[in-house]
Amino acid sequence: MKIIVKLIGPLIYEGGFSEKVLALPGPVTAGKLSALVNIDKKRPTIITRNGKAVTPDDMLENGDRVVISHIYSGG
Amino acid sequence: MKGWTGNILRVNLTNKTYKKESFNEEFATTWIGGRGFAVKILYDELKPGIDPLGPENKLVVALGPISGIPAPNTGKAVVAAKSPLTGFYGDGNLGSRISEQLRKAGYDALIVEGKAVKPTLLYIEDDKVEFLSAEEVWGKGTYATNDWIYAKYGKGAGVLNIGQGGENLVRYAVVRSLEGRAGGRPGMGAVMGSKLLKAIVVKGTKPIPQANPEAMRALGIGDLKTVHEMDKKSGWTKQSTNAVLAWCNEVAGLPVQNFRKTSHTEAWKIDGERLNDARVATYGCPSCTMKCGITIHDKEGRESELDYENVGLLGSNLNIFELNQVGSLNYLCDEYGLDTMSAGCTLSFYADAIEHGATEGDFKFGDAERAKELLRLAAHREGKVGNLLAEGSLRMAREFGHNSEAYAMQVKGLEVAAYNCKFIPGQALSFGVAAIGAHHREAWIISFELKNTTRESFGPEKAAKVIELQRIRGGMFETLVSCRFPWIEEGWSLENYPKYFNTVTGLNWTLDDMWKVADRIYAMIKLHYIREFPQATRKGDYPPAVWFDPSNSDTEGPIAGKCLDLDKYDKMLQHYYDQRGYDNRGIPTRSLLGKLGLSKEASAVEKYAKLN
Repeated sequence: MKIIVKLIGPLIYEGGFSEKVLALPGPVTAGKLSALVNIDKKRPTIITRNGKAVTPDDMLENGDRVVISHIYSGG
Repeated sequence: MKGWTGNILRVNLTNKTYKKESFNEEFATTWIGGRGFAVKILYDELKPGIDPLGPENKLVVALGPISGIPAPNTGKAVVAAKSPLTGFYGDGNLGSRISEQLRKAGYDALIVEGKAVKPTLLYIEDDKVEFLSAEEVWGKGTYATNDWIYAKYGKGAGVLNIGQGGENLVRYAVVRSLEGRAGGRPGMGAVMGSKLLKAIVVKGTKPIPQANPEAMRALGIGDLKTVHEMDKKSGWTKQSTNAVLAWCNEVAGLPVQNFRKTSHTEAWKIDGERLNDARVATYGCPSCTMKCGITIHDKEGRESELDYENVGLLGSNLNIFELNQVGSLNYLCDEYGLDTMSAGCTLSFYADAIEHGATEGDFKFGDAERAKELLRLAAHREGKVGNLLAEGSLRMAREFGHNSEAYAMQVKGLEVAAYNCKFIPGQALSFGVAAIGAHHREAWIISFELKNTTRESFGPEKAAKVIELQRIRGGMFETLVSCRFPWIEEGWSLENYPKYFNTVTGLNWTLDDMWKVADRIYAMIKLHYIREFPQATRKGDYPPAVWFDPSNSDTEGPIAGKCLDLDKYDKMLQHYYDQRGYDNRGIPTRSLLGKLGLSKEASAVEKYAKLN
């Protein structure tokens, strides 16, 4: 299945991409997808799927848009 | 008493007089400094009902016990007065060497009273105070004024100045510093302009009293390096605050077209990646460890320093998705000394009101060239349109009628920051109950709200988070006075701040002690509010009505068909009041005020509104 992954802010430079389509062999959770991306896992992140926050255990579906961001606090 | 100079400089522009006044340890530890000092001074010294643009108003510049001390991001100052935009206490902070220089001159605060006869530069050098002519730069923008000041006094001076917006009493005119920073959103620049005070320049040579200067120096210098290293590692400053734009666009939280929409397909053109790519320089405040001011060339080729709030409100909120055009609008706001956020919301309201037939005009969303001209008209109060725009969105709505107040994006008269709360209840609450009107500075809970709660919830956990953040952001950081970015963006522990405070004062405070002062300050600002607006109800703590309007709901995306629910919002507001110890009107109870040490103030305010 195909998942669109978008990284936010400094994660772009850490992960080496801003947005890309990941082709995955089978069902995957948000947490597992996040682990596939090369970012600092120690820092808390917020993951959204199609604009809604998800937990690491939530299953993703083909065509989902997943956005990974650090937790910011605005300006 | 260590950690404070123990002195306030009081200057009267009418009489060209000044005097040094001392304060004691009780005052210092009750209010800490910065916003705390300003809240107390203005409450005691201003009569309710005065014209904020009259000579009776007073401008307070206040610093905290770690201002000017080498430690992470301590180069900030608070400016405060009765606000010409909201009609009650208003303030803001900005990066300026005045944080260090005023303390070195021997003062923790400056009170400016009266009104000068001619445009004036107030010059303070240790014990010397001079009232100098600023006629040469009256009518000029902040960049030219800064150049003039720089040539006279050098880069090391602490400077506050205003542009044409402040001179012409635009109600959202800000104060600017030599470092290019701006502060005082609710019209602190207009208060300076009303006093014909073009600039304040300060130089000091005295040591800042500290309980343990050697320990503080070792601690502060070490921490400056540590936070700088943390930032280098995290890469936050690659996009700085504008990293949030792409995220807001993804989660339906971006202001687009006067907050009518929550995302836009062209938002990527003005996001943090594009800003970083266009960067030509980077600026920061004094003592900064993580310089957030990303500067680009604007459409006209001038340097313009952008952050998320001005990109969101002068960009997407006006349907302008050319970064260099957003840079031009931002440059003009800085040059004229206008608050970029209120300016953006005021322009977007104007376009919306025209589109909805509430008024006639030739401004449309997306028209950057006309927006530039409108900013010029507003800053100079030129013509009918310029005078209208100079008043801010609430007053314009009252002038236009046709129910346009529903989409004037403000709370208590202060325009909202760049987070579209069409369906973000907790952040909407944080705007509703922000002490001085809608401001992101006091509580920003969106990521907490989405990650740790359900977005649909209007529960007490959101009210609790707002209070927690108000204590930290609107309380501790505004009194010490220090920038919150090391904590919020890099995870620098909050425990460092009582440590700095204790090292300079010799006291032994905890974060809980800081929260008590913060609660006192929030209660005191409420007292400012109710003595100016004794008939005010809890509706004053509601966000803009358009966020409750189902017909304004998104038609697609993650919050399609949803909007805030008024009854549920009102219940969440009650949670906030209950947790704060306020009554059903949102007014602190007599019992709470007693516990906060404000019994005297409680008795005084009962002349205006009866307390429960």
